[in-house]
Amino acid sequence: GVIAFLARLEAQAREAAVKQEELERQEEKLTRLKRRVEELRLQRDELRAKVDLQEKGQHGKEGVVSESAQSSAQAVVEWKIKSIKAMLQIFYLTGVSGKLTKRGVCFCISTAYEGTYLDSYHVDLLTKPEVQIHRHSIPIFIPLEQIANKYLQTDIRRFLAVLSEHLNAYVGRRYQAEQLQEHFSELMEGPLQKNSLCNLLVFNYNVSRKSKAFPLNARLLYGDLCRSLPTEVTVTCTPGAPAALAELATAHSDLFRRVALHKAFRSFGTAEESME
Amino acid sequence: MDETVAEYIRRTVLKIPRGEIKMMLQKWGFLSEAQLQTINFHQIKENISQNVVQLCEENSADIKQAAVLDIIYNHIYPNKRMWSVYQMNKTGEEIEFFDLADFKKKFKRRLRSALINVTINFREYEDNAVWIRVAWGTPYTKPNQYKTSYVVYHSQTPYVFISASVLKSNLPLLCQALVFASNYHDIREMELRSHSLNSLKDIVFKRYSQYCISSQNYVSGFFHFSSQLLFPAADLRIIQENRNEKERIQRVNREIFGDGPLPKLEFAQYKLETMFKSHPKIDVLDKKEPFRCLVKFSSPHLLESLRSLAPAGMADAPLSPLLTCIPQKAKNYFKIRDKKGFFPESFVSP
Repeated sequence: GVIAFLARLEAQAREAAVKQEELERQEEKLTRLKRRVEELRLQRDELRAKVDLQEKGQHGKEGVVSESAQSSAQAVVEWKIKSIKAMLQIFYLTGVSGKLTKRGVCFCISTAYEGTYLDSYHVDLLTKPEVQIHRHSIPIFIPLEQIANKYLQTDIRRFLAVLSEHLNAYVGRRYQAEQLQEHFSELMEGPLQKNSLCNLLVFNYNVSRKSKAFPLNARLLYGDLCRSLPTEVTVTCTPGAPAALAELATAHSDLFRRVALHKAFRSFGTAEESME
Repeated sequence: MDETVAEYIRRTVLKIPRGEIKMMLQKWGFLSEAQLQTINFHQIKENISQNVVQLCEENSADIKQAAVLDIIYNHIYPNKRMWSVYQMNKTGEEIEFFDLADFKKKFKRRLRSALINVTINFREYEDNAVWIRVAWGTPYTKPNQYKTSYVVYHSQTPYVFISASVLKSNLPLLCQALVFASNYHDIREMELRSHSLNSLKDIVFKRYSQYCISSQNYVSGFFHFSSQLLFPAADLRIIQENRNEKERIQRVNREIFGDGPLPKLEFAQYKLETMFKSHPKIDVLDKKEPFRCLVKFSSPHLLESLRSLAPAGMADAPLSPLLTCIPQKAKNYFKIRDKKGFFPESFVSP
């Protein structure tokens, strides 16, 4: 009745208020960041001015600033600019973004394969007393600890790059296996044997839907966890198979090493069509 | 068909809730769809199981096929068993290429070399979990299908989930076979046990929400709650006493437990190996020996109840780290000793 209607209106009003507050918070944050950018630009310009003055052989209004101090300050600034630029490049190229947290930084690694966005993973780092991983959503079978031991203390950028490579390659391999099972199940004979990392695939398959007498057996080993193509491929045919099939097996051994699995299977279809 | 197999199938079907029997038989796939049509699944379970046994007789079921039905049952109802978590270790950092066929072969070979009279079944699932069912016999008797151990292993992880049978003596054999088959060096039992297999997985694989920073949080910045949002139903005419304290408790609780669902554990056990500290003048004990005491917290959902303690006013926030460290440390069995550097000996106030 009326009370229920009023209650609903009240709830709607509350929701709108929450959204409004959210918006206001975002805007406030945006203006804060813009102000910060301005501040940094100002600092940069000041430093540049100092450098210019230094180069012209004059002393600035600030009095006698020793040459060595100025050049080391300059060197520090240049290093900071370079590392920030490198960071931004990483963000752009590899889908890694970061945001500062109360006690450190939280990075988000977005993965993609062939233009399809796949999973996102997070790594929450603490920066004091030393850089360490606080929390993360990286799957347990990715060698996170190994990668962290190698790079986390010395080069966060490299740590993120390597971790991102592992994750992107993993989702790529997984995507190919899933595509195979989804779209080419009528060519598969029996189950697709894989593992958590999708770095070893074993399966039996036919090249055409019609002739299923002599299935081929494929064994794909992905020796490099940062790649989504296998390093070792063995394709064998069942004993008694015609010679043409044996040739095909050899050709496929090579094909699977160069071409993504689902694309390779797609090419069977077109090859079959072109033969008819 | 063997008498024992028939009886085993009959008893397994009887365990299944009546509404689920058809679905499970279909998953099993041993009886054809046509055969399943002949069963009336609305009659009493006794009769259903008799029908099933008759059909299995027609198809000449053996114990391995019957065991598959048991795996399916346990996979759908894992919470009927108590699971322990074991951790395997290996030195070296070579990439693991987990070959399932190889794993199965090695496991069977190793286990059978120690004890011939075992029934071993494997079943793989889409989440890369391998379920292993082992029925144990003795050097002189056939395997007892009612004394089974279950192992769940996700490839390329160091954790194994084991639901051992009554016969604890077979556990070392099982562990040895696992280590050998998975190319690890050794295995140790973690102090983490629960009926909820998925919760155990969530804890050791770090899959639950406290560790998964949602993209929501990530994009919109800190969680800064004004009192308006904390008490959305607040009528401005109602005055909240101790609002600041309530907000503080919510905040601290959220920092410790997060917002999302927590893994399901049924208990936490603390075994004291500390010395009783009495007033020096009042010497209660003649001998100085550790105070033998076991504190056990039980609950249908322990972590959830801990999360609600402070907001309900039953305990101070933050709670004792002995309780809040359970998911991070991945253990719910603790030994508390007197030595320095270990946990402070403070309990949650009752």
